Order: sequence, then C-alpha cells, then structure tokens
Amino acid sequence: MSKFLKENIFNIFIFLLLSIQAFMYYYDNRPSSKVFSQKSMSVENFSSIVLGKSGLTKIGSEKLNKIDEDNFFLQGKSYLENNEYKIYGEDISINLNEDISHSKKSVQVINSMGTLDAKGFRNIDSEGKIYFDGVVTFKSHD
Amino acid sequence: MALLPLKVMIKIIFFVFSLFLYSNAYSESTVKAGDSLIWDSENKSYTANGDVEFKNDKFIAFADKMIANYIEENNDEIFTVIELFENVVIEFEEETFKGKYAIYTRDDNIIKLTGDVSIESPTRLLTGNELIADIDNNKRILNSANKDSLVEVLLENNADD
Repeated sequence: MSKFLKENIFNIFIFLLLSIQAFMYYYDNRPSSKVFSQKSMSVENFSSIVLGKSGLTKIGSEKLNKIDEDNFFLQGKSYLENNEYKIYGEDISINLNEDISHSKKSVQVINSMGTLDAKGFRNIDSEGKIYFDGVVTFKSHD
Repeated sequence: MALLPLKVMIKIIFFVFSLFLYSNAYSESTVKAGDSLIWDSENKSYTANGDVEFKNDKFIAFADKMIANYIEENNDEIFTVIELFENVVIEFEEETFKGKYAIYTRDDNIIKLTGDVSIESPTRLLTGNELIADIDNNKRILNSANKDSLVEVLLENNADD
C-alpha cells in the first residue's frame, strides 16, 4: 500500500487539484437564487421624480421595490410630493401606467389649505381625486 | 410717559391691522368624517361621508354628508360654500338649527336650512319649512309652507322668567 502511494502520490495530488477546480467552476457558473433576487431590483433610501398628470412628483422611501415596469412598492416610510400635495405615509403602492397610488396605512396629506390625517388613501391622479377611507380629520391652516 | 415716534406708531398700527385682516381671512376650519373623505382637486371640493363634523370660528355643524367647495386665493384654498345633507344640526352660540339640508355661504355668512327645520334657543323652539340665518346681521327668517306649519314652543326654563 505504501509503495503504491509513493509511486502515485503525484498523480493523486494532480487529480485532487483538478477535482477542486472543477467543483469551483461549477459553483461559479451555476445560476443562483441570490443573483435572481438582485435582478428584481430593490433600492434603499430611494428618491426620484416621476412625471404624472399633477406635473412632476417627487417620490421617496426607505426601500423601493420594483415589481414590474409600471408597478412600484415604496416600503417603509415613504412620500409623494408635488405642487398640489405632499403625502407622507408608509408602504405606498404606485402604478405609473394608471397614475394611481394607494396605501392602507396611516397617511398625512398637506396641501395649500391644510393638513389631513387618515387611515389610508387611494390617489387617482388622472381624475384629480384622492379618496380617504375610515375616520378622516382635515384641519385648515390658521 | 414718552410718546412713541410717529413712524413707529404707524408701523405698529399697520402690523396689528394686518394681523386682524389675516386672522379674518384665514380663520381655521376643521372637517371630520367617520366613513370617508374625497378631495376632488379638479372640481375644487371636499366630500365627507358618515358622522360629518364641520367647525369654523362661527359655528359647528353636524350631518350625514358634507360637500365643501373652495377657491384658490393668493396660493391658499378657502372654503366658500358648505352643503350639508341629512340630519343637519348647526350649533351657533346659544342656538341650535336643525334641518334636512343646509347651505352656508362664506361671503355673506348666511346659513339656509330646508326640510322640517327648527331653531332652538334657551327660551323657545320654533319649527317650519325653511330657515335663513343671517349671522352677521343677527337675523333669523323662518318660513312655512302654510300658516299651520309654523309653530312656536316656549321652553320650560322660560316659565321661571
């Protein structure tokens, strides 16, 4: 046995090196779920400007998740600001194609008349309407 | 006591007058809705539904539904016409107006109520079909469809007087 090892140790060493290299090559080229999740795109502390019916709207959030070409999900504390209103809320969904944004979490809206607090909202920008559900309080400026 | 220089006095008077005008032009209003509220920026209105409460420096109003129209003035929005629908109750100082429908116009400070209206004060209760309350001139006009529908009731606490 020892004689066999002495005669073939160099071959065994080469074989092991080649095996390790083949293993590394396989894992480097294998498509992994990790790479896939990065391609779905999520950006932290995001802010950008979109063009809608209300003009330019600045949007921002703790984390932006792109669902598809038209749909975005603003995760965590988020905002939408333009000339007409400032919407501060959480977990806001945006559909750029239909100009709709909505959230079921507490929201505060500030416009040139006052400040509005609600449990959630649905903003249909193409109609110029914002719907607030549940108990709503609107206080005009002093 | 030394008199203030004329220029300083004019500035102070102008400042106080400006504050007075500003406070009258932009008095605070509050709208509360129990079910929903729609802000329609195209038609410049707010529609509130369910246990609605509207409060300004003049009165406090309750109703099932409210539509408040506004205008934009100097980059600010101001309520101009408030419409109240169903179970309307308006509390103004010691008076309470009730009706099925009410419309308030800010320009002339007049509230018009229709549909089984009543006006209750500490001393009397009046009922009719239409009530026009002119807040600035402290006038109340109560109309009725016929002579019998106009009722005046003296309240109990008046009996002691």
